Amino acid sequence: MKNIIIIFLKEMKDILRDRRTLLLMVVMPLVLFPLIINISSKFMMKLETSAKTKILRVGVILNSNDDRIRRSVSSRDDMAFTDVKDENSIESMINGETLDFCIVLDKQFDKKVKTLQQGEIRLYFKSSAKNDISKRRIDKLLSDYKNDLLEERFRILELSTDVVKAFNINEKDIVTVKEKFGEKVGGFIPYLFVIFCFVGAMYPAIDLGAGEKERGTIETLLVSPASRTQIVIGKFIVVTLSGIISAVLTFVGLYASIKLNSEIPTEIFDLILKVIDINSIIVIFTLIIPISVFFAGILLSFSFFANSFKEAQSIMTPFNFIVIIPAFIGTLPGVKLTATTAMIPILNVSLASKAIISGTINSGHLAITYISMFLLAAVSLIICIKWFGREQVIFRGG
Amino acid sequence: MIEVERVSKRFRLSRKQRREMGEDYSGGKFIQSVSDVSFKCTPGKIFTLLGPNGAGKTTILRMLGTILKQDSGKIIVAGFDTLKEPDMVRSKIGFLTGTTGLYARLTPEEMVKYYANLYGISGKKYTAKRDSLFDLLEINKFKDRRIGKLSSGMKQKVSIARTLIHDPEVVIFDEPTVGLDVITSRNIIKLIRDCRDEGKTVIFSTHIMGEVNMLSDDLAIMDRGKIIFNDTFNKFKTGMTSATIEDEFVKIVGGEK
Repeated sequence: MKNIIIIFLKEMKDILRDRRTLLLMVVMPLVLFPLIINISSKFMMKLETSAKTKILRVGVILNSNDDRIRRSVSSRDDMAFTDVKDENSIESMINGETLDFCIVLDKQFDKKVKTLQQGEIRLYFKSSAKNDISKRRIDKLLSDYKNDLLEERFRILELSTDVVKAFNINEKDIVTVKEKFGEKVGGFIPYLFVIFCFVGAMYPAIDLGAGEKERGTIETLLVSPASRTQIVIGKFIVVTLSGIISAVLTFVGLYASIKLNSEIPTEIFDLILKVIDINSIIVIFTLIIPISVFFAGILLSFSFFANSFKEAQSIMTPFNFIVIIPAFIGTLPGVKLTATTAMIPILNVSLASKAIISGTINSGHLAITYISMFLLAAVSLIICIKWFGREQVIFRGG
Repeated sequence: MIEVERVSKRFRLSRKQRREMGEDYSGGKFIQSVSDVSFKCTPGKIFTLLGPNGAGKTTILRMLGTILKQDSGKIIVAGFDTLKEPDMVRSKIGFLTGTTGLYARLTPEEMVKYYANLYGISGKKYTAKRDSLFDLLEINKFKDRRIGKLSSGMKQKVSIARTLIHDPEVVIFDEPTVGLDVITSRNIIKLIRDCRDEGKTVIFSTHIMGEVNMLSDDLAIMDRGKIIFNDTFNKFKTGMTSATIEDEFVKIVGGEK
């Protein structure tokens, strides 16, 4: 036990002095990640605000006696009527950014509307993320005009507007805010901590395995009184802890990025805190432990096998996808924790966390998740110890 | 004391390694690294293991250090069997290689302390031993600098301090001067002599003839996993039919046809 502690303390000190480890384990989840979230959300908000407040240059070609649309456009503060003479010039005007939208009423429009047929309106625009938000205002304008015309028709036909509404649906959605939040963003949170847990553990694992071989320190360590099992366990604890620290810091980073984001209203922040209560967080943290142990076992085994830092990185890169895919599946709507999915590593943690956040966790499924993850964690540790004990692995190609 | 009795060791080759060995290789899936090797190293003497690259010297030394396990035969180091009591063996030996085997992000002080802790040396005993080694090797002036920033000579000094911090009974040197400058190499040679003079059992492997001449009390010559000469160095010299040690060595291992 004493040797394990000695090795653990030395390795911890060693990796905490390494800039690359600190960058991946601490700076990325705690600083870089919230920064990215904040900048991107600010950018999105700015884009949306600018799209909503922008004065749209709207052209109207009537071909009709009814000039209600033109009057509506002219009367609105958020739209500027732009004169367009010819339908053929619309495209070049939009491309030349002198026009945003153009509404063209077909030549037959009046005739068709009067005979209670379907008239045609052509709407010219250039779609883009910003313009799509602006388009909602034009859609509303056209929808109002359509309703005006419909009301006229009902009046002519002496019908009530209720005629076209066979029934009214009064929706009573019993979903709780917690469930809704869990379903919508609940999958995103475990996705993040699973990925960061893996990334945070990866670099220390490479350094403590392949790095030790590459530097030639493994030989001197192996002739020290520490047994191979003690060496592996000492290193294993460091890698596991790195994964846990990284995952926890992801939570902290996420919390900070929401808290520091001035664009998010306080009510929504309070709601998030209410939904993700302390008990949920504690249960999710207990899931991070076996997944970190599992990652540590796998990553250290790969690392001991590799002869160099570079080789370890190339072995581990494909494993990234093996982690990302189940974590991503967990974010998809409709994928739920069942007795079967509770046995699939990574996916089970992702789905269990999602269910915990939404408050729909089934204790039986959670138990299967724990058993499955702890079993896998134990197996990965045993494999790692066995692997480290093999001469062909430690002195592979040597 | 080291006693090696009829020790053999073979390694499994990967497909890639078999391919790399060329079409002439017909040894199957295994390569015999050490074959039926026996020798004895006594305290207060320097036992030199001489041989060309790939002769099996490092494999023998790694088996003495319990890093590798022999397939057959028996190895006793400081009175302990390497297979039955590897922990005891490791507590009695110091192992020094040409690659310094140091952690770049630690300081010399931390490095030596780490190994002292693993050997269970602490308190006054540690302080006294560290002070004497640091004085002797002139480490004090750079003891708090990160090892990664030290010169190769400084690193080798730290490596020596790490090897000797627990005052081992048996010291194993695996090509300790490879890649080092003349001054650092001389320091290592002096250290090997000092260890002998202190009554330690010393075994070192080399392929540098000058070192053999300067240090050897007993000599074993290895080639292709076998010991082809094992006696005192004086007997080797008196029995020489060639003009130099190097010529005699080449003649013995059949390097020139």
